[in-house]
Amino acid sequence: MTWALYIASVVGAVSLYLMMPRQGFNPRAFGALLGAMSLGGLWIWLAATALPNTGLPSGALPYYYIFSALAIGSAVRVITHPRPVYSALWFVLVVLASAGLFLLLTASFMAVAMVIIYGGAILVTYMFVIMLAAQTGDAADQADVADYDRVAREPVAAIAAGFVLLAVLLTVSFTPGLTAPQPGTFESQEQALLSDVLVERPAMELTALAGPAAEEAAQAQRAASVDNVEFIGVDLFRSHPLGIELAGVILLVSLVGAVVIARMRVPEEADQTLAPAEASGASVRMSYEPGPHDPSAQGQSGGRVGV
Amino acid sequence: MAPLDDFTLAHFLLTGAVLFVLGMIGFLTRRNLIVMFLCTEMMFQGVAVSLAAFSRFYLHVTGQTFIIFVLTIAAAEAALALGLVVLLFRRKRTLDADAWSSMSG
Repeated sequence: MTWALYIASVVGAVSLYLMMPRQGFNPRAFGALLGAMSLGGLWIWLAATALPNTGLPSGALPYYYIFSALAIGSAVRVITHPRPVYSALWFVLVVLASAGLFLLLTASFMAVAMVIIYGGAILVTYMFVIMLAAQTGDAADQADVADYDRVAREPVAAIAAGFVLLAVLLTVSFTPGLTAPQPGTFESQEQALLSDVLVERPAMELTALAGPAAEEAAQAQRAASVDNVEFIGVDLFRSHPLGIELAGVILLVSLVGAVVIARMRVPEEADQTLAPAEASGASVRMSYEPGPHDPSAQGQSGGRVGV
Repeated sequence: MAPLDDFTLAHFLLTGAVLFVLGMIGFLTRRNLIVMFLCTEMMFQGVAVSLAAFSRFYLHVTGQTFIIFVLTIAAAEAALALGLVVLLFRRKRTLDADAWSSMSG
């Protein structure tokens, strides 16, 4: 049954190739139609296979399709849009859609953290850099889009490699038996994992005076009130203490590194060689003169000195 | 044949894998440095969706804990990479990755 996966991968690859930015005729709408067809066909085929059901409420299924289609469509737009600003905006939509998927998967804290950290912090940084570095202009006319944004680099090879990887990933993840899910709900698992933690937690109210039965009831009430954030926090600090330390070190190092990089002075000779490059626009690399460390330039100057 | 309203782990793995592969293709095909790093963030998104799906279906919260670490690495990578991009842009006044191909020898 894996031939359906391969067909969907090939059709998806062709559709993405049609949507890639290029000069001249751009069959983007046809490519989008083809991609939607392959994704829809894959979903229909997936629903028809006898993979085990995993106990999510089936009322959430329309939301899965909506959020997935939104995420994948926006992701295609991120990599095909010629303007970096719009790519970043489409990426915000990818983040929001995958936050919706996290909500379906009962990872509510991760959904909120995704939106705040990605959509709030990281994307704002990207927007700042894009505004700082890119040439701005009207969205309507194509003339001011930089040349390197208008044409994709090696689209055939990259898409072939990517979709071969996709076919392999899907073949593995769609094999029944490899992904044997467990029955039950998150809540039952949380009760079992958290029982020792909850005993250590001090009681909020003076229930110990009222006897063991009241104590038990209060503990059950506390266990029932454990939410997603608390559960993640307990797992984070009980099972991954080393990971927290390493994450802190990485954040500190990148903070210091970012400050050092931002304060670094650009050499003056680079600015002088830039003057003709700025005027000619696209042909930056051609007009870049070799620096003093270039071996060929050194040979030439050495020869001149000898003469 | 299962009914259409069956939820499987493979549904979410499909979405995660497609996001990852699209990010990879974008990283390979785009020549703008900023968009290339944006595409790595999209690969992180795909991995995060897969991790959340594993966390839900195997009922183990460590998957969600790993997403926190993924977010940490993504934030550190964005800070460093964007600083480097600004530095490279100040040198050559272009975001073209091919402008730096002389560094490959």
